[in-house]
Amino acid sequence: MNNELPPGLALQKVDERIMTLNVGPQHPGSGHMRIIVQIDGDFIVACDPDPGYVHRGEEKMAEYRNYITNIPHLERPVIHDSCNILYPYVLGVEELLGIEVPERAKYIRVIASELNRCVYTMYWLAIYGIFLGHSTMFMWPAGDRELLIDLLEKMTGARVTHAHFVPGGVRNDLPPNFEDVCLRQVNYFEKRIKEYAAIFYDNPILIARTANTGVLSRQDAIRLGTTGSVLRASGVDYDLRKKEPYDVYDELDVHSNVMKEGDSYARSKIPWLDMLESCNIIRQALQKMPKSGSVRVKLKPNPKGKGLDSVYKRVESGRGSLGCYIVSDGKPEPYRLKLSVGSFRNLIALPYLLKGEKLGNMPAVYWSLNYWPVEADR
Amino acid sequence: MNTATGIIKALNSGIKHLAIKRFTLRYPEEKLKFVGDGYQFDPSTGVGIAGYKGRHMLFHDHCTGCQLCSIACEGVAEAIAMVKVPEEYKHNKKAIMPQIDYGKCVFCGLCVDACPFYALYMTNDYELSSFSKEGLIYTPAQLQVKPFVSQDSEIKITNRGATHG
Repeated sequence: MNNELPPGLALQKVDERIMTLNVGPQHPGSGHMRIIVQIDGDFIVACDPDPGYVHRGEEKMAEYRNYITNIPHLERPVIHDSCNILYPYVLGVEELLGIEVPERAKYIRVIASELNRCVYTMYWLAIYGIFLGHSTMFMWPAGDRELLIDLLEKMTGARVTHAHFVPGGVRNDLPPNFEDVCLRQVNYFEKRIKEYAAIFYDNPILIARTANTGVLSRQDAIRLGTTGSVLRASGVDYDLRKKEPYDVYDELDVHSNVMKEGDSYARSKIPWLDMLESCNIIRQALQKMPKSGSVRVKLKPNPKGKGLDSVYKRVESGRGSLGCYIVSDGKPEPYRLKLSVGSFRNLIALPYLLKGEKLGNMPAVYWSLNYWPVEADR
Repeated sequence: MNTATGIIKALNSGIKHLAIKRFTLRYPEEKLKFVGDGYQFDPSTGVGIAGYKGRHMLFHDHCTGCQLCSIACEGVAEAIAMVKVPEEYKHNKKAIMPQIDYGKCVFCGLCVDACPFYALYMTNDYELSSFSKEGLIYTPAQLQVKPFVSQDSEIKITNRGATHG
């Protein structure tokens, strides 16, 4: 056998200790994505996340639909957080068209988006529980989520994909007697999620499993550009509801939760603290909301932007900062629409966090990044 | 905190839940209660009326065959097609009315927002499954029928936890 290789061909050096393992895209521990990990025995030496399996071309689709018919399909990437993904789009279109939103509509939007943040986080928490083999933590959040889904159903008319926000306000006013029902169910919800502390967050088994795994330092969190709960778990106090208040968040007392550890435990605890904070915000908004008034500005059938114009708006979603960049060229359709989502920004931290971890810790680190595969692919 | 107390606390909080009422809704026997008769829209004020977005309801005596609902659906789901109807109304010269394909409809309700004649509303009917694709297509005559939806339970919060009572 001739040992000389043909010109231009180079063989990769084989390391006998390293094995490449594909986790996903059908694996229940990865979601709709693949994580290519290289392991040496039980330890991960390299990791390459491979998203893109659920790319739907939402941004291109938006260029062929007008500002109103974009609403139902733009919420598809995160159906559990559909109000928050529409929020930056709606704020941007309002600025393009120059619409002033009624005060009551702003409060209704804040309530809807905070309820939706809790609905998303409960779903995320349920999956985090089952990833770690804690089946009670799967059942409890999945059940208690119903309290808020019921409220959103009364408010918007749909359980998951609400299509409730429109440029100029919200689609419909609150049903009669909603404030009392909302207050009662949110208070009970808060009492319920406080019970999660004993069974999950103060549970020594969970702490042993997640503390000091996948530590992201403060410098790395800033350098890699992570957002939301991942950034706040690493000790950076950056919550858009406080730093760049949109709608009526500047009139509400918002407390942002920060932890210094930067490990999986801190990253999993911050969304839970955020839910408690959301309950506070909902109670304040219900109190300060004007009792009556218009909730929607009447628009022309095909609203158009004023000539060449662009706008960038961002909000704090359940997964971090969610931005929307819209370019208008004076037609009823946007010329270009770009979604900048928190999931994709947080995914970049995964290769750094998994290096040197045990393979068994991979689900705990991966899902603590608050990552939603469908949103990242858009 | 030492490990033993933590584990006992966690177990204890689980055991407490044995005494709590069942929260699950037994679906086919019990059904959820909704607010109102479904999502409606008032064109004079431009604001909707809160309600569940389920199957549509078409009022033949209001529909003028203007196709605005079909145009609104074009960018969303293309579920609405305008079809000929046998009845003749003075206000509907072309004698066309919407026919809705629930295999495509996403229940966003933008068609209801588009109707300026109070002709298209949504109802609480959500049980639309069918054995064939053709069975999902609702003709104007089928859309005219007001559905009967049984609604018996809503969330009640008691001292022993929340329940669908």
